[in-house]
Amino acid sequence: MNLSELQGLLHGRITGSVPGRDDELREQVLPRPPLDSLERVEIYARMYLFRLVDAVAEDVPHTARILGHDGFVEAVRDYLREHPSRSPDIGQVGQHFGAWLRSREGIRSDLPDLAMLERARSEVRTAADAPAAGAEALQSLPPEGLPGARFLFCPSLRILRLQHDVRALWDALEAEGEAPPPAPGPTTVVVWRQELKVFHTGLSEAEAAALMVAREDGSLEDVCATFAHEPEPARAAFKTVLSWFADGWVAAVTSQRA
Amino acid sequence: MVPFLGHGIGLRTKHFPEVLEAGRRADWFEVITENFLNVGGRPRAVLEAVRADRPVVLHGVSLSIGSVDPLNEEYLRDVRALADAVEPAWVSDHLCWGTFGRHNAHDLLPMPFTEESLAHVVSRVAEVQERLGRRILLENVSSYLTFAVSAISEWDFLSEVARRADCLLLLDVNNVYVSATNHGFDAGEYLRGIPVNRVAQFHLAGHQDLGTHLLDTHDAPVPDPVWSLYRDAVRRFGRVSSLVEWDDHIPPLDEVLAQAERARAFEKSVLEEAPA
Repeated sequence: MNLSELQGLLHGRITGSVPGRDDELREQVLPRPPLDSLERVEIYARMYLFRLVDAVAEDVPHTARILGHDGFVEAVRDYLREHPSRSPDIGQVGQHFGAWLRSREGIRSDLPDLAMLERARSEVRTAADAPAAGAEALQSLPPEGLPGARFLFCPSLRILRLQHDVRALWDALEAEGEAPPPAPGPTTVVVWRQELKVFHTGLSEAEAAALMVAREDGSLEDVCATFAHEPEPARAAFKTVLSWFADGWVAAVTSQRA
Repeated sequence: MVPFLGHGIGLRTKHFPEVLEAGRRADWFEVITENFLNVGGRPRAVLEAVRADRPVVLHGVSLSIGSVDPLNEEYLRDVRALADAVEPAWVSDHLCWGTFGRHNAHDLLPMPFTEESLAHVVSRVAEVQERLGRRILLENVSSYLTFAVSAISEWDFLSEVARRADCLLLLDVNNVYVSATNHGFDAGEYLRGIPVNRVAQFHLAGHQDLGTHLLDTHDAPVPDPVWSLYRDAVRRFGRVSSLVEWDDHIPPLDEVLAQAERARAFEKSVLEEAPA
């Protein structure tokens, strides 16, 4: 057996991607009392699962707590079959866990959304740094350039479209309290970082629409248009855009398309 | 050769407040490379604060130098960018493999000690040193199995990699002890088999005795047998930078720093011994 075949054999067994092949493993791995060949391989297989369970749990501690130890281990084992780690950074292994939970039966209906919020907070905590721009960045543009102004957002900003409002659930779990019942209904949550602190907040439908337009390279004029049905469109748009600057979401304003 | 940095500790998230806000320092810090690739926020702020007044070393766990997978070029670019930004005293990783078919097991899997493995690793070390623009250090790993196909000892394999690839070695004293116990070889023979001029760093850590084998857990103080082996290592290799790793059940910073001070004291006592 050459190096490639040997690594394929061992890796398949340890990660569970190619189970079995016991006879080949006995041939390739030496027994040494008190452990036989397969027991020695099993040491690595156990470590593989629990190392990755720990990595996912670090992202979604509250989700893990709700699932319970055995339920969480079982969920991560199943998740890894569909989403084996492709990144050198073990911290990336849980990036699809929340979305994957949507297909899992027998769990709280809002658990996938909670996992997505937790993962987003984890990503934001270590996202690349970028200085935030103040509202003066907008004011510095010539009046004729304002309608076409576009926003570049900080790399730590995340926008989540959730099927439940899990903010109260997250607050309760963070305070180590009882989990409230699920609160179904589409919700847009923004997660961001100011200095070293991570925040999240919910957005109204109009605010969410405006932010999505701006994130997709829409102009200030396009952003304002999303408030057309509000009682005072200009005032609502102005207030929303200023809040983006106040919360440190905007890295720069430009008159150019991205 | 690389500079002597003294006796350091691994920089861990739990200690960030004491390091960032209280300014607590070891002689030097080792950071896990992958935890700092393309990141900002608190990890980056702590790394920059530490680097401002202490040497830092980048210690990777995902190079997978022994894997038959192609080298991960994006990863190497990211490591190079981090190294250029941080200017570490050196960059290290492990003599092992962890990926197959681009699927990362996130483990330090042992190599079969064969001529085929040797040639494979040597050629890849040369490529990595070229990409990173510097010599790297490779660390011996703890292992729980050996391959029937292995034809030479682990220490001969490690030494030959270092010689042929012209890289340096990070000798993990705890890993030598763990593997010696698990496989029944003589840890002293291991140390005597490693060339003196290749060892640029020591690792020290704790492990767990599970009855059937020792597990390299980094979750406890350095045990007496490992301190004893460390003293033997200092006798053979002389004054070499040491680093205490503590990755699980991490105690307060003072306790980890005390382990580094213990390493300093053991080194001093050995170096003051009268020559035999």
